[in-house]
Amino acid sequence: MIMRKRLRHLAWIAMGATAALAAFWSAGRAQPAAAPFTNAQAQAGRTAYGANCASCHQANLAGVGEQPPLAGAGFMSTWGRRTAKEFYNDIRAQMPYGRGGSLDAATYQNITAFILMANGAQAGTKAFDGTETVRISAIANGQVPADIATPRRAAGGDEGGAAGRAPAMTLGQTLVGNIKAYSPVSDAMLVHPDPKDWLIYRGNYQAWSHSGLKQVNESNVDQLQLKWSWAMNEGGENATGPTIHDGIMFLANTSNTVQALDARTGELLWENRLGPLATRAYSALRSLAVYEDKVYINATDARLYALDAKTGKVVWKTDIAEPGKGFNETGGLIVAHGKVIVGLTLCRGQMPHCYISAYDARTGKQAWKFTTIAAPGTPGGDTWGDVPDDMRAGGETWIAGTYDPELNITYWGTAQSKPWMQASRRSGTASTLYANTTLALDADSGKLKWYYSHAPGETFDLDEVFERVLIDHGAQKTLMTIGKAGILWKLDRVTGKFLDAKQTVFQNVYSGINKKTGQLIFRPDVLAQKTNTWISSCPSAAGGHDWPPTSYDPASDLMIIPLNQSCNMMLGHDVAQHTGVVQPEGEERLFFAPGTDGNMGRLAAYRTGTMEPVWSFQQRSSFLTGVLSTDGNVAFVGDYDRTFRAVQTTTGKTLWTVRLPTVVQGNPVAYEADGKQYIAITTGLGGGSPFSKPSSMLGELHHPDHGHAVYVFALPDKLTGKLN
Amino acid sequence: MCAGIAGSAAAVEQKFATRLTAVAYDGAMRANVQGDGQVFATLDGNKLTVSGRFMALPSSATSAKLHSGGGIGVPGGSILDLQIDGQTDGALSGSFSLSSKQLTALRQGHVYVQVNSQKAPEGNLWGWLLPEHPFPGVDVPEKGQGFLPQLDVPGNWIEK
Repeated sequence: MIMRKRLRHLAWIAMGATAALAAFWSAGRAQPAAAPFTNAQAQAGRTAYGANCASCHQANLAGVGEQPPLAGAGFMSTWGRRTAKEFYNDIRAQMPYGRGGSLDAATYQNITAFILMANGAQAGTKAFDGTETVRISAIANGQVPADIATPRRAAGGDEGGAAGRAPAMTLGQTLVGNIKAYSPVSDAMLVHPDPKDWLIYRGNYQAWSHSGLKQVNESNVDQLQLKWSWAMNEGGENATGPTIHDGIMFLANTSNTVQALDARTGELLWENRLGPLATRAYSALRSLAVYEDKVYINATDARLYALDAKTGKVVWKTDIAEPGKGFNETGGLIVAHGKVIVGLTLCRGQMPHCYISAYDARTGKQAWKFTTIAAPGTPGGDTWGDVPDDMRAGGETWIAGTYDPELNITYWGTAQSKPWMQASRRSGTASTLYANTTLALDADSGKLKWYYSHAPGETFDLDEVFERVLIDHGAQKTLMTIGKAGILWKLDRVTGKFLDAKQTVFQNVYSGINKKTGQLIFRPDVLAQKTNTWISSCPSAAGGHDWPPTSYDPASDLMIIPLNQSCNMMLGHDVAQHTGVVQPEGEERLFFAPGTDGNMGRLAAYRTGTMEPVWSFQQRSSFLTGVLSTDGNVAFVGDYDRTFRAVQTTTGKTLWTVRLPTVVQGNPVAYEADGKQYIAITTGLGGGSPFSKPSSMLGELHHPDHGHAVYVFALPDKLTGKLN
Repeated sequence: MCAGIAGSAAAVEQKFATRLTAVAYDGAMRANVQGDGQVFATLDGNKLTVSGRFMALPSSATSAKLHSGGGIGVPGGSILDLQIDGQTDGALSGSFSLSSKQLTALRQGHVYVQVNSQKAPEGNLWGWLLPEHPFPGVDVPEKGQGFLPQLDVPGNWIEK
């Protein structure tokens, strides 16, 4: 089970804080009274926990990443003041992640009993039935029994846990390729990609997510047919997008498996299971890259691999970050000017801070590194006030950057600073550089050319980390991006100067913006926030816009943006400012955005030259794929309710839909092979806040909790034969 | 039931509407804050007339009130009581003379309807009263931006 929200923010407990808080909870307390559950329930709950929860929250309930601890000080600080009934109702409604309510009542009761036992509660004679209103701190003290804190591993090393975790499989190369028809990818090919290929994760260096193909167009898109599909690994999160070259599809499958498929037929050409196996948490690889004769992929354990594109064999590998420190990398990478440039994620107070780093594409030797959190005494270090260096968390790069080959600059967005709320972070409205910032880095040296801090003092997990789209308006070179607040930004990408901003969804966090400088003005009560007080935020942490990227259609100058509409109340906890301690963050309660009639999804098109809104439509379901536009005046997008659709780019009118077996999630791409245009899309589960919020709020929409796959569509042969 | 000092009368009748949806909730609250509803309101001068329906509450409605907060989507205290008729399904209504402060809050979109129930005494459903606006339907595109209730923001945006 992933207690994804109210607890997810509580995961960052360093050892010192854990001990301190545990001492707090147990200080002066007598042995807790016998709790309202039996030992038999707790033992049954332990088994059920292992099957349904441990893959994310860990067998010792310590949590990892955004998956919060379910035992110890972190758990008690959130749940100690609430009742056993509330906890039971919470997990029954929301867990396992994406499958709330799917277990029977007795199983939820048993799991509750086990989690209470894991927090020091003593079993009694009364069975827990879900109605007990005893305060958790009255029966538990956060002291984790030794056999739970250090569990025995099951045979084979599996700590148990089926839900969301990849089934056991042998790692290594299972099929060695012998691809003959592969031409090395040159720098020139990356700068001017052939429309038949999809060489870069968003189609081109500018992240347009646009295809120059038009065999499939507004007049015939309704005749699209499924040509082939390929089942992907189960378990973990899937939000990927294929890369295509010379009729070969390179696929970043889950569990850090890389596959080469014949893009015409779906035949497997090679497979390398790099590992580690996926858990549900933070295991969605968004992309891979091709350059010269290699395929590059960042594994989720922050390891970078170069594979031979023809065989799939590992040519070199290197650690992006020190193993075992909890770092992770899912955002993908780009290759620019001979360097593989990659970010880093899950920077939660452990040192060093997050950074963007570049590696020689041929050797894997690190070329440069740019740290995204400013340390005391370094440029920008004063923007964190007195916050100690190892309390300066965040600044992850969840999405691979873009690249301007003429300027030789690579552009990256960074995530928010952490803890999320100003009151918890104690950094006020300072900009906490380089969090929530656009970074312009020299691609050869990593030297900072300029930066733009979008949301100084941001406080609701509304990060500005997503795609940086490069568009020229006449002689003006611009960078456009949109973050969770739903503000579409336009910057001069040569200088970083603010040019314009446009609100795209309802928001109430900012009451204004200085349109000369781009400085945002917070709603007054946001500035006056205190810890342990609920404050409203629209959008919620699902973001008005999140990781599913926009597309840019150059013919119409339209940027098509997948948007989401939801709000939350957020409560920030007190966070001890001890060195080396990053504490619980906060709690969240969701609600539908005002004025939306309960519609969470919005797809909208803006003319980028004028920032003028051109069309939009709403629907109940959130959009969970990027948008792909093509020269055929069609754009493709998929959603939580299993629908993959084509709309007319210039009007938004739906032209074609297909219902797929589970959630449509990932990045659609277009390519051509043997004269036929194909459209590929993945289905997938997980995917962070954009997936978890509708899971919680759209109870009437159902989907299987499996079904990762890639689907490839094309027009009927007789039709393409005529067109060819 | 009615409040305060009448504000200056508007020349044109204004219509407001909202859909009632669950109040902000977490998993522990979820089962008790289900339901749906629709509310319409008309402002004629300073006279506000409210009517609506709620349905499928998990427990019987106990009260319904108008609240006013510090922004759209920002909860605040109750300002006026509505009448309710029904239990888990029912109607709500009220007619009030608004104070100038209340008028301002309404026009800024800060006023919302909240229905309380036995199992959710601090809020079961809510919905912000916003200018009635055409909704073309699910999946139906409309030109321009569509309705974004940024009623109290544009005036504060500092133009170039």
